[in-house]
Amino acid sequence: MTHIDQVPTPGAPLPVEIGVKAGAARTNPFARVFDELVRFAQSRSLFMLHYCTGCGAVELPPAMTSRFDMERLGIQPMVSPRQADILLITGYVSVKTLKRVILTYEQMNSPKYVIGICSCTVNGGMYWQSYATAKKLNDYMPVDIYIAGCMPRPEAVIEGLRGLIENIRTGRADAWKDYYRRYDYYLGNQQRLFGADWQTSTDVIAEARHYDLFGPATLGAHTALLEQHQRPLEALEMRIEIPELMRRRSRSDQDGTAQ
Amino acid sequence: MDWLSAMRLDALAAVDFHWLGLVLELMLMPLIAFVAGLGLVLMLRKIAARLQRRVGPPLLQPLWDIIKLHAKETQTSHGLIHEIGIVMAIGGYVAAVTLLPVPGMNGLAQQGGLIALLYMTMIPSLGLALGVGQCANPNGSIGISRALTAMLAYDVPMVIVIFGVAFHFGSLNLVHMIAAQQAGGVATWGMVQMPLLALAGLFALQGMLGKQPFEIYVAPAEIATGPMVEMGGKFLGGLFVMQCFQLYTGGALYVTLFLGGGEHWLTFLFKVFVVTAIPMTIAMVFPRYRTEDMVRLFWKWPTMIGLLGIAFVMN
Amino acid sequence: MATSPTTVVDQLLAGLHLPDGFDAVAGVIRESLAHVTNSAIWTRYGQQSLEWLIGMNPVDRLFMLSALTLLLMLLLGRLRSAGVLAVLLYGAQFAALLSTDTLFGAPVAAEVRITVADQSLHWSYDALSWFFAMITIGAAFVTAWYAAGSWMRRYREAGQSARAFHVALALNCFGMLLLVGSADLLSLFLGWELVSWASFLLMALVGGPGAQAALKYLAYAISGAMLLLGGIALIYSIGGSFEYGAVVAAIRGMTDVQVWTLLLLLGGGFAVKLGLLPFHLWQAAAYAEAPGAGSVFLGAISARMGLFGIIVFIVGMIGVSRLMTLEIPYTFMSSRELIAWIAALTIIVPTYTALQQHDARYLLAWHGIGQGGYMLLGLMVGDAVGSAGGLLHCFNYAITQAALLMAVFAVVHRTGTADLNQLGGLVTRMPLTFLVLLFGIISLAGLPPMAGFVSKWMVYRSLITEGMPLLFVAAVVGTLGTILSVYKLIHNIFLGQLRVEHQGVAEAPLSMLIPMLGLSALIFLAGFIPGPALSWVAQVQGQLGLPVVPWVLGGIVDPRGGLDMIWLVGILMAGFGVGALVFYGFGGRSRRVHQLDNYAGGHFLTADVHYQYSDNFYAGLMHLIGPWYRGAFRWLERSLAATLDLVSFGAEGLYRVAQPTLLMLAAAVAMLAWVF
Repeated sequence: MTHIDQVPTPGAPLPVEIGVKAGAARTNPFARVFDELVRFAQSRSLFMLHYCTGCGAVELPPAMTSRFDMERLGIQPMVSPRQADILLITGYVSVKTLKRVILTYEQMNSPKYVIGICSCTVNGGMYWQSYATAKKLNDYMPVDIYIAGCMPRPEAVIEGLRGLIENIRTGRADAWKDYYRRYDYYLGNQQRLFGADWQTSTDVIAEARHYDLFGPATLGAHTALLEQHQRPLEALEMRIEIPELMRRRSRSDQDGTAQ
Repeated sequence: MDWLSAMRLDALAAVDFHWLGLVLELMLMPLIAFVAGLGLVLMLRKIAARLQRRVGPPLLQPLWDIIKLHAKETQTSHGLIHEIGIVMAIGGYVAAVTLLPVPGMNGLAQQGGLIALLYMTMIPSLGLALGVGQCANPNGSIGISRALTAMLAYDVPMVIVIFGVAFHFGSLNLVHMIAAQQAGGVATWGMVQMPLLALAGLFALQGMLGKQPFEIYVAPAEIATGPMVEMGGKFLGGLFVMQCFQLYTGGALYVTLFLGGGEHWLTFLFKVFVVTAIPMTIAMVFPRYRTEDMVRLFWKWPTMIGLLGIAFVMN
Repeated sequence: MATSPTTVVDQLLAGLHLPDGFDAVAGVIRESLAHVTNSAIWTRYGQQSLEWLIGMNPVDRLFMLSALTLLLMLLLGRLRSAGVLAVLLYGAQFAALLSTDTLFGAPVAAEVRITVADQSLHWSYDALSWFFAMITIGAAFVTAWYAAGSWMRRYREAGQSARAFHVALALNCFGMLLLVGSADLLSLFLGWELVSWASFLLMALVGGPGAQAALKYLAYAISGAMLLLGGIALIYSIGGSFEYGAVVAAIRGMTDVQVWTLLLLLGGGFAVKLGLLPFHLWQAAAYAEAPGAGSVFLGAISARMGLFGIIVFIVGMIGVSRLMTLEIPYTFMSSRELIAWIAALTIIVPTYTALQQHDARYLLAWHGIGQGGYMLLGLMVGDAVGSAGGLLHCFNYAITQAALLMAVFAVVHRTGTADLNQLGGLVTRMPLTFLVLLFGIISLAGLPPMAGFVSKWMVYRSLITEGMPLLFVAAVVGTLGTILSVYKLIHNIFLGQLRVEHQGVAEAPLSMLIPMLGLSALIFLAGFIPGPALSWVAQVQGQLGLPVVPWVLGGIVDPRGGLDMIWLVGILMAGFGVGALVFYGFGGRSRRVHQLDNYAGGHFLTADVHYQYSDNFYAGLMHLIGPWYRGAFRWLERSLAATLDLVSFGAEGLYRVAQPTLLMLAAAVAMLAWVF
């Protein structure tokens, strides 16, 4: 068991690369043909999972209901991470909460966007001195938009969302790719905080491999540490193992080796 | 293989129409249903918004949602049955809408009939149930158990209505029903002839569309949208497509049984939208019933109204 | 004319009435047979015995082969290859049945007769016998195949006797063939008793709870047989003959009171076997606890013998029109409505009992009771479509239930349990078994495109056109309950989370898979092209004097709304095609994830905590209808049993204490007086 101090420091905190055009082509043939249309649809239809950790949550109901009505922008609340496009973190994240936030983020389907609301997500805010609070959200996952303020008013929230919509429409909101391409960095920060045996039930590396989202810094010292203790996460593939047929095959294999 | 060819000829001999026309119907009808369904979804969301004094989504919002969901770059699947389930959910409704007679396209409806249609609409539920089961999420399983219970609840008044209507028209053939209703104008409409059954049918429609107060199986805050809990990307997109068909099927069936079908597309779609707007409006001013209360409600009032309606129809 | 296997095959194919396109297939069969007939052993022994068999009366030949199966199983049942032999012999029986050609041809009487006390017992095969015999032999065939390989090996290893199993199965089949071929009341009673005791044998083979259930069955079966005997005595006392012809005449001349009595006696006797309310309590446990393959056979056909009796006597001889004239005093009901309502309650009560089961075998066995209700209901409606639906459901149900039970016992074979709370997620490990169960449940629930839909549709339609709203609602409520409970079945076994201890489970053995897959193909085909099965049913209807269903290859033609399954399945498949296009054609690539990568509100799932919803599956519904399960029938049964206990206790006390010899003497005298 590696002690937390033995986890290597994941280098200098890198800036989140918002607006860097994707290197890898879209994996989706539908998307490749109708790229513009798809980007427009993506910008006009955003399902939001609000992870209400702090006081900022109170600003969301007016943003959603009749006063400001997010739905006219195509934004509506959703319930489970599988359905959501936006992960909305509305306040301070304690260490314990952050684990859940990361799991939730990893379970979302890409393209996915993270919005940090309130100062606490930017730099810890009034919890700066707390030993149990994660200070900067973008150390642990790529954040697309921060909406600063303590707390930001619904107008500010809507303004932030409009900014995200504009970024998506112009193809600049691809911070989610950064999580795959520099997974080692994010994992390193997570390990420094949660301990070396940190693991979620999602397999980010396999996902990056499957979708061709590998980058130069996907693997590194921290993913090597993860692999040391990682519980297997291979999907249970459907298999038809009829024993009689299997035995016959193995027997013929043996025959083959005997000759 | 003249046996096989004989079989095919035998099957086609019973059909008056040229089979190419039927294939055209097979392709056109789901398309029309889908577009109408998009409109119905929009109407649903607009009604909700207006009742809550909001603006609501823009015109093409249902379409953007579906495109976006299908265009997700990573899609989480829980296995083959998860995928097949969605295919069955869409496919079953595609089959169901082709069995609905619409203005100018009655050929395929001749092959089905009321009971076949009713049972065809259970195929998507089964497919969805299988797909959700494979997700290995108990929230989804609970949702399905509630959805099936809801089906047990609303199908009792539903079959009473179906019996009454079929008995009234003396046929299970939907085309015959429309012809009988259109023969004498509004006075021969099912709604005028069988008002009690029409009322019970409206009640059942509310349950069939899964709208409040009968949407305990979704219950977002409790079981995380139940069947949809593990559905993301095109899985959820498939369910959105299914919802379009579902709303259209419910509305069109009701129009066929009680409002004399449609003389042409304009009146038909108008009636479908009006009929579907009723449960949607009711839905938005109600919270939801618990499962057992929902069952109790369905087995009491609409069932009683329906039985009374049958008593009138049969005498 | 020289008889050789080739000519036999020719006759068989002629009897099958296959279309011309099958000539090529026949050619292949003939060619392969030529190899056999050229061998030395064949020319010495085979030719002679074949000629002897060919020369026989076809029905005698069928009985001969069935008895031969029984004999061979008795002699060779311990051999390892006895299973394969049994499959071949049942296949031969099937061929012999086809060669009788009684379905489309005239009835054939057997030459075998037994004369007892001036009464001759004789047998004759007609369309109805053919129909039931076909299901029986078919069920025995697939059961024997299912049991032939890995299953029987496991069965032996558990210390059970393979011979006893083979003999019990052969005896069941033999008894049923005799029963469905009976041509007078005595041969009927003989067959009835044989079937009763044979199924007792099959149920009681493994002991334990199965033997308990079998004993309970025996108590029911004996009382049923007593009722039957009473009915036979009544007919004989009026008509003076046991012959069916005379029986029909006797019934026609009976007064209403006499017909009522007959209805209660015969109907009661047959209802016990069919498991109609309130005599249904024995069946579920007796069928579920029988050894796996035996359970398949029992579930598929055994209880239908009761239905056979009802068809022969109540539908065929008394007739639905006569039933309608028998009013129940002080009510608006006729006896036909009474029976129809018993059938409807038999659909509902056992189906909702099945909903509460958490053992897959019991769940299916309870459904078996419920499905019997549909058959009777269809027959009681009595119009062309309804009675055809009822009859067709016998066949459709048999293939469905056999496939379902086979799939469940394949799971038991691999995992060792049928407890629905101990399974889950097996679809990744036993996908073919899943497929079989899926086809089976769609058919059992009566959804398109499987076989069960056709027969249930016919029952519904007849209820609508004949104007029976409440019965229709009852039938649909039964179907809805079936959908609920079969989803629970497939969900709790195959869907949801795979348990750690089942990670290494393999697919069912090949010997079990082949009959399972064959049956599922049949379930689909019988739904896709119901014509052939409907043609059999139409023949049966014609013979029973019922109106004949207007069938075509794809279903039913009727101006008031027919059914064409070829179209319906075609549309459904087209729909699935569109669905697949929408799902697979448009959209990003999907990636399969581990079952623990799952939403749990941010909770980290681990393999040691089972994340599955299986127990009390319909909790919400049970909140409402749970208190309605009062066990009234069980209470009735227990109180009857307690009363009997008390009476026998008292009688025993009398015998033992007060003048035992005198009482024995009195009993003996009374018995002699009754006999002579």
